[in-house]
Amino acid sequence: MTTAYPPPHHLLWDLRLRFAHDDDNASRAWMPVTPEVCGDDGSVRAGALTTLVDVISGGLAARAAQPNWIATADLTLHMTGRAANGEVEARARVLRAGRTTVVLEIDVVDERERTVAVATSSFAVLPRRDINPDISERTAGSFAPPDGAALRVPYADQLGIRVLDAAAGVVEVPVTDWSRNSMGAFQGGAVGAVLEAAAEAALRTASNSPLVVTDLHVTYLSFGRVGPLQTRTEVLAADADRGVATVALFDTGAEMRTTTTARVVATRSLL
Amino acid sequence: MTQVTQFMRVDLTEVEPGVIHGRADRAEHLTKPDGAMRVGPLLTMLDYAGGLCGGLASLPDGWVVSTNLAARFVAPARHGPFRIEASVLRVGRNNVVTAVALYDEGADDALVASGVLTSAVLVPENGPPQWERPLRLVNLTPSGPQPDLTEWLRLRAIDGGVEIPLDDRFRNPWGILHGGVVATIVDLAAGGNTTDVVLHFLAPNRIGPVQAIATPVGERSDGTVQRVEVRDIGADRVTAVAIVTSL
Repeated sequence: MTTAYPPPHHLLWDLRLRFAHDDDNASRAWMPVTPEVCGDDGSVRAGALTTLVDVISGGLAARAAQPNWIATADLTLHMTGRAANGEVEARARVLRAGRTTVVLEIDVVDERERTVAVATSSFAVLPRRDINPDISERTAGSFAPPDGAALRVPYADQLGIRVLDAAAGVVEVPVTDWSRNSMGAFQGGAVGAVLEAAAEAALRTASNSPLVVTDLHVTYLSFGRVGPLQTRTEVLAADADRGVATVALFDTGAEMRTTTTARVVATRSLL
Repeated sequence: MTQVTQFMRVDLTEVEPGVIHGRADRAEHLTKPDGAMRVGPLLTMLDYAGGLCGGLASLPDGWVVSTNLAARFVAPARHGPFRIEASVLRVGRNNVVTAVALYDEGADDALVASGVLTSAVLVPENGPPQWERPLRLVNLTPSGPQPDLTEWLRLRAIDGGVEIPLDDRFRNPWGILHGGVVATIVDLAAGGNTTDVVLHFLAPNRIGPVQAIATPVGERSDGTVQRVEVRDIGADRVTAVAIVTSL
């Protein structure tokens, strides 16, 4: 059986992502920069960009790995500029497509071709299962949001992220159908938004400065299927200009299994 | 123990299944003019400890090769001795993920770097290496003056980066350029003041010379973000790509 993914009400639609798969080695995707994906500095948030990057990477890696399927192993994002309006474009290309691993590099640019972020992702190649989506027929322009789909509240709020203890960087998020990936687990790119919320809360408290998350090194260890997912954060360094934290994400509904570990960097706004 | 890890002067001990601790002293030939240890040798220590940790977790059937190393440096390594800690986060069929960290015991045990090494599990042609457990690898190189790192590497500055020959001293047990040397030339190509690195090993360096070329991507309040591409010139291919933030 092949499952239709994403379902009608889903973050991929509401973020209004559009895709064009150029060939088996390159893809492009676009995301409108709306207030709902921007932070309090008015610029697109790293956690929204990780979602864009993860989705375009997943699609391209899945093509590169055909007929097998893939699971995201890690994702890194480094922001180098800001985008406050218009659209951002992610351009992904395959660096390596091997028997066990696919590695991609992704540039994110704004409408003036200025680099907003650089990202990398790698994927473990897995044997295809019946539940994996069939992507063989997806072509350029075939993945575009339906009319009316849009975020109406900030992305973090729509995900359901709740800050339980800002100083300790403890946040919680449910696993809902809106945020599940094609494997039924919390979407890997949206994990970036959760890690960002946890690290930013802890680093702003530690630094007493309005730091903005600019870098994420995310390592995926297992799926977060049950939820709620909860973070544990350790501040490694913090001053008025920058901060570094490690964040672990646990599935509280699955015996506190660690699903993700990350190192997060925050700096003064890129303004 | 390879000539690379001997030159970096690091000892490793398996303290329990899935956990490796390493130890290294501050060595003059591995320091920058400001007295802090160069980032390349520190990345080599993280790669060495994390790789061995992952390899032992893959036994008895397989061994590992590093596929990516991501690390953030939060303080300079000025004093020593340094303690390296590696622990397994996940063992999968195809890969092993290890957490790696480095502390400066001479600076109140301050954290210097935190990272993750991912390694692919392979089945070597002649079987995985045989080890006496618990494993202990001691650097037996006599202490004494050593050539500076860049001299030892026979490093040459080229337009936009650096180049080294693929000397036999730099090869790992599989005959390819040691991952620590790749990390070292990535740091040097980016200016030698790396604070954050994500390094993807894409293909082995077998022939040489090996070049690392840095391209600036953007400026931020905490430094310059650069993309560094490593090429095996003799094989005419890209062998690694890194995103580096440096002061």
